[in-house]
Amino acid sequence: MELNITNLTKEFAGMQAVNHLNITMGSGVYGLLGVNGAGKTTLMRMLCTLLHPTSGEITCDGKEIFAMDGEYRKLLGYLPQDFGFYPEFTVENYLHYIATIKGLRPVVAQKRVKEMIGAVGLKKAAHKKMKKLSGGMKRRAGIAQAMLNDPKILILDEPTAGLDPNERIRFRNLISELAEERLVLLSTHIVSDVEYIANEILLMRDGKLVHRGTAKELIDSMQQQVWKCYINKNEVGHLLKKYKISNMKSDAQGVEVRIISEEKPIPNAVLEEANLEDVFLYYFGEKAGEENDMV
Amino acid sequence: MYFYIILEKRRVKKMIWFEMKKIFLKRVNQVVLLVLLAIVLVGSFLTIRDVKCYREDGTMISGLSAARQLRKEKNKWQGRLTEEVIQQAVAENQAVNASAESEELMLAGRQNLEDIRELVNMGFSKIGEYDYYVCDQIAVDQAADLYEKRLSNLKEEIIGTEQQEKIVFSQKEKEFLIRQYENLKTPLFYEYMEGWKALLDSQYLPTLMIITIVIIGFLISGIFSDEFQLKADSIFFSTKLGRNRAVGAKIKAGFLAITAVYWSVMLLFSAIVLGVLGFGGAGCMIQTGGNWYSMYNITYFQDWLLTMCGGYVANLFILMLAMLISAKTRSTVVAITIPFALSCAPMFLGRVSMLTELMNLFPDMLLRISKFLDVFLVCEIGGKVFGLYLVLIPVYLLLTLMLTPLLYFGYRKSEVK
Ligand SMILES: Nc1ncnc2c1ncn2[C@@H]1O[C@H](COP(=O)(O)OP(=O)(O)O)[C@@H](O)[C@H]1O
Ligand SMILES: [Mg+2]
Repeated sequence: MELNITNLTKEFAGMQAVNHLNITMGSGVYGLLGVNGAGKTTLMRMLCTLLHPTSGEITCDGKEIFAMDGEYRKLLGYLPQDFGFYPEFTVENYLHYIATIKGLRPVVAQKRVKEMIGAVGLKKAAHKKMKKLSGGMKRRAGIAQAMLNDPKILILDEPTAGLDPNERIRFRNLISELAEERLVLLSTHIVSDVEYIANEILLMRDGKLVHRGTAKELIDSMQQQVWKCYINKNEVGHLLKKYKISNMKSDAQGVEVRIISEEKPIPNAVLEEANLEDVFLYYFGEKAGEENDMV
Repeated sequence: MYFYIILEKRRVKKMIWFEMKKIFLKRVNQVVLLVLLAIVLVGSFLTIRDVKCYREDGTMISGLSAARQLRKEKNKWQGRLTEEVIQQAVAENQAVNASAESEELMLAGRQNLEDIRELVNMGFSKIGEYDYYVCDQIAVDQAADLYEKRLSNLKEEIIGTEQQEKIVFSQKEKEFLIRQYENLKTPLFYEYMEGWKALLDSQYLPTLMIITIVIIGFLISGIFSDEFQLKADSIFFSTKLGRNRAVGAKIKAGFLAITAVYWSVMLLFSAIVLGVLGFGGAGCMIQTGGNWYSMYNITYFQDWLLTMCGGYVANLFILMLAMLISAKTRSTVVAITIPFALSCAPMFLGRVSMLTELMNLFPDMLLRISKFLDVFLVCEIGGKVFGLYLVLIPVYLLLTLMLTPLLYFGYRKSEVK
């Protein structure tokens, strides 16, 4: 299974949401990391045949995906970023319906629906109406529908958005369990989502791929270093203007800041080991999303 | 291979089942369906209540008991309305008029021959100037000319003089109308037929048809747009069958919903009205009832079939169009307005005289066929003349069939916005 993205471009009213993108992916977990508006959703929609590219093409094992039509979508599992359900369907109904339009045979559908309800922990809610589910439960139902056909290509758009920290951790575990033997592309603007489960991280900015590699490779690719310094509160403003600050902790006496800079920012700064959050800041010039932010 | 086909059929059936679930689990749809049921019940009650008759003492009753009494009285005249029978009825009518002591007693005394009175009134009134008292004044001998008068009125009054400001028919159309008139088998067979008259000749049925189509509009308008409105489209269109069979299943579900609701309403309404007022008269020509000048030589039962099938075709066409609009605009609300606009608006637009002829071709005409059977709407195709409805029904059926692929291929290509 190989997905090949060549010169892929999507324009919206003159703005290039995805700009001449070239990526090749085999099986494994890929973390697509980028700030809001980077073009992650647009890319994923094209991968799911929901949008036609303005130019460029996507092939699956050499065949153009739009030409493959149902044969390609058969391989696909998709959890959209922002999606809805049929409010009056129960979870079980809903999954049966999706199984049907995914073309599963009735016997297989029966079995898979049961399995997936168990896998995402919705057993107790199986007969609840979709409109009665909480945000986290809805997302789990979303994962369940994506996995129904045991997809070779699993595309998850911001799967952890809106989840509380506990749910987020459970979710990551679930995803790493599901990741075997398939291509998983997972987008997020939260570093910790992909730091441990992605084999490879794709950094996307303004519709372009700025860097790709393992977490370690990305960290090594940084041209600047990370410094920890302890300063007075009144110096913070000055430093903020001059440097990229990746973290700040204040106490009664002063502030501990984490600064990305080529040279030592202040005399008493200490060199620190860089992490993925620093990489994010380095490449995007802004901080990564918080663990517990609600998007 | 065979196994595969069975499997496919089951899968499609299941998809249709889910689509129906989407429709009928929607709260709004459940509410409008209940409203529709209530309207059918109230409508049939009102229709039945409109049948009235006098008791011997001159007091009036209506509904079931009126129907019972009228059936007994009117069936006294059951049989062919020959010249002798018509003369006999006219004579009896005038005798009752002369002898009755009060207006009520007069009406009570002659209600058994009211239908025949009506034929004579229509037949001998001036065209366009219906006179309720013709039968009371006409010479008994003259009444025997009823059937000849119908044809001569057609020739001389309806299609005759060119200076009339009425519609002027072409030569072929004139020949067609005359042929239709000549083809009516006289003497007409008569029996009690209040059930069919109440069902088909009253204003309730067309009204019910409009209400029904508007309400089915509610049901089906979301089939295509709701995927977008609910944001379920991303998942729907990224599934294996989401751009082919699942779309087909939606169209089939729409078709099924239209068919099921339309026929349930119409059959229920007809069954209640006829059940109470009686099925008698099904074999009478519609001319025997209130459609004296109709060019359609059909019985009341055929009238019912034509009206129901025409209404069904109008439902299919208008609602298929609504589904197409629902798919294109992605708005359930816009789609809901389509059946409303197409079934009601022409009634107002029709007053603009310039548009009248064009309006006659609109699909809403199919929603009130039984009310238009005595209007001279003809249509010439390839040198042959037809009654308008015999053209409109197949044409709209064909148009519906043409809309289906548009809907399928249009929706199949949808992108997520
Ligand atoms: N349907 C659309 N029409 C116009 N602009 C769009 C549309 N979808 C996305 N965009 C724009 O494309 C850019 C990329 O959006 P998106 O792919 O949603 O980014 P991300 O998922 O990384 O946040 C944004 O600037 C967004 O405003
Ligand atoms: Mg996005």
